Amino acid sequence: MADFIRNPVVALPDSNPEAHFSEEELVFTPEEKAKIAEYVTQYPTPDGAVMWVLWLAQEKFGFLPPEVMRLVATELSLPYAQVYGVATFYTQYYKEKKGTYVLDVCTCFSCQFCGGYDTLAYLEEKLGIMRGHTTPCGRFTLREAECLGACGSAPMMQVSNGPYAYNLTPEKIDALVDAMEAGQPLPFISVTLPQDEDEMGGNRRTDAEAVERYAVPPVAKRTQ
Amino acid sequence: MTKAGDWQSYKRVLLPPVKDLHHLDVYRAGGGYEALRAVLSDWKPDEVTEEVKRSGLRGRGGAGFPTGLKWSFMPPVKPNVPRYLCCNADESEPGTFKDRQLMEYNPHLMFEGILIAGYAMSLKACYLYVRGEFANWITLLQDELSKLYDAKLAGSNILGTGFSMDIIMHKGAGAYICGEETSLMESLEGKRAYPRIKPPFPAQSGIWGYPTTINNVETLACAPLIISRGGDWFAGVGANKHPGPVLYGISGHVNRPGVYEYPTGMLITDLLDIAGGIRGNKKLKALVPGGASVPVLRADMIDGVTMDVESLHEAGSMMGTAGMLFLDEDTDMVAFLRRVARFYHHESCGQCTPCREGTGWMENLITRIDDGEGNLRDLDLLLDLCDQMEGRTVCALADAAAWPVRNTIKRFRGDFERRCRPSAWAVNA
Repeated sequence: MADFIRNPVVALPDSNPEAHFSEEELVFTPEEKAKIAEYVTQYPTPDGAVMWVLWLAQEKFGFLPPEVMRLVATELSLPYAQVYGVATFYTQYYKEKKGTYVLDVCTCFSCQFCGGYDTLAYLEEKLGIMRGHTTPCGRFTLREAECLGACGSAPMMQVSNGPYAYNLTPEKIDALVDAMEAGQPLPFISVTLPQDEDEMGGNRRTDAEAVERYAVPPVAKRTQ
Repeated sequence: MTKAGDWQSYKRVLLPPVKDLHHLDVYRAGGGYEALRAVLSDWKPDEVTEEVKRSGLRGRGGAGFPTGLKWSFMPPVKPNVPRYLCCNADESEPGTFKDRQLMEYNPHLMFEGILIAGYAMSLKACYLYVRGEFANWITLLQDELSKLYDAKLAGSNILGTGFSMDIIMHKGAGAYICGEETSLMESLEGKRAYPRIKPPFPAQSGIWGYPTTINNVETLACAPLIISRGGDWFAGVGANKHPGPVLYGISGHVNRPGVYEYPTGMLITDLLDIAGGIRGNKKLKALVPGGASVPVLRADMIDGVTMDVESLHEAGSMMGTAGMLFLDEDTDMVAFLRRVARFYHHESCGQCTPCREGTGWMENLITRIDDGEGNLRDLDLLLDLCDQMEGRTVCALADAAAWPVRNTIKRFRGDFERRCRPSAWAVNA
């Protein structure tokens, strides 16, 4: 029992964390304020805009430490507890500092049996970090993600809450990591529907940045 | 002849073969927004709901509730009480990836459906709740939406008919539970997405307490088709108790995975052939016919089973989202169930004790079996745990976690027993 009291099961929020940002940094620019005002008008009460404003703050500051959540709360005139509650409920809001690129590798069951864990293990080895960690250079964070909704193109991953990368192979991962290290933006890829391939001879979006097809999934070596 | 009829010569309607259909002008050139124009100028709101009822359209988001009936639950219009629609694009059910493709390739069909639904139920606005992972698709949708506003097809006085409705994008941030309708409403209100107790149902008290209806993307995309081609046409496509075109998202160990559009009532074996059969000439072992939460089917259970609520119910499963996962003979069902249980443990919102604790214990028990340290008794303990969770929580996530566990153990019991240590105590003595 004593152990339980000394080591609570739930990690409690730090009541007095060291601030990551100074007072001068913790301001929204007039353009951002205008954007926030626009979000607020879209909902009957300002509460509805919380998620959008947290997204905006995360884009600006990179992650959401308590002082940024406090800034969002002040901006929307909401209790800090509510903003804290929302920010900690969702997995895509980063509560601690992440790498420049966050690699979310999907391992949910379609990906699990089509090489999701092989991809994760390959990345762990390549980047020299375990899942859930950031490289010492601060460039990559590797995470295991729940279903990202691209089950037909397994294995796949999402980069920094942005573009998806489909049908991953070791060669493809190498090329992707090289591109990220060189700072190149990753393209938005349209995946061609099998019926489009038959009836239209390829992707239906002529303005697609990059095109891929649904492919035969690889044989998974690892399933956890 | 199967329930799907002459599916070989089926012409796609949700994703018709037209290049660049995602552009507003291409969509309009092909007769797009004509259904909306017809509805706004010649139809009464009730007639639209009646037509949708006649079509027999069932929700495509998983529960399969009749859409026309859902629309008719909205209370009578009162002055100064706004009414809302939420378009549920929080597609997070493992194995499901159809809505993303629909939004990418034919977003205006969804927008038109939203506006038709808005007219039928006299709504003020629609919140389009897209999961946060689809950030790129949100940008694409925002572009098309602004074109829609420029063309006076959304906002105030649509097509000069005096009908006004806004479409507002809302970006989620990664929580499976937000796909549950009451949880989605909480999330929209800027709170932690804890599901609400029903009743009151959303039609009585939805977002901010106002009457609200929540429909899936694909469901709403069917509305313009029902209007332009008639409810009777729609009712004649596919299985008669569950009609219409449907997007089958096929994944797993098949040669040609992907999203396929066919009528409902397709034979599962036909769909497997369409997807190129099982990879590497292996045999099929198991099939999950509609996303993670529906009971898994053994290969010997799918003969003659068609993809519609009736037939799948008889076979002991459900239609769900029609996201079909095929697994070959080498699949380890214990590892499969371990991952499913892990998913639900991670995604349980933590509001109700049976689910928060139960999903964790499920994962622990299955992990123990998978690691070769389980006892035979653990299987019965797991089944007992399912009984303790099912129907004892605010939302259906606990049920959705219990069904695959119960049915996978029941249908693949041998696989599980082989991994367990012989029990130190007699089982069922």
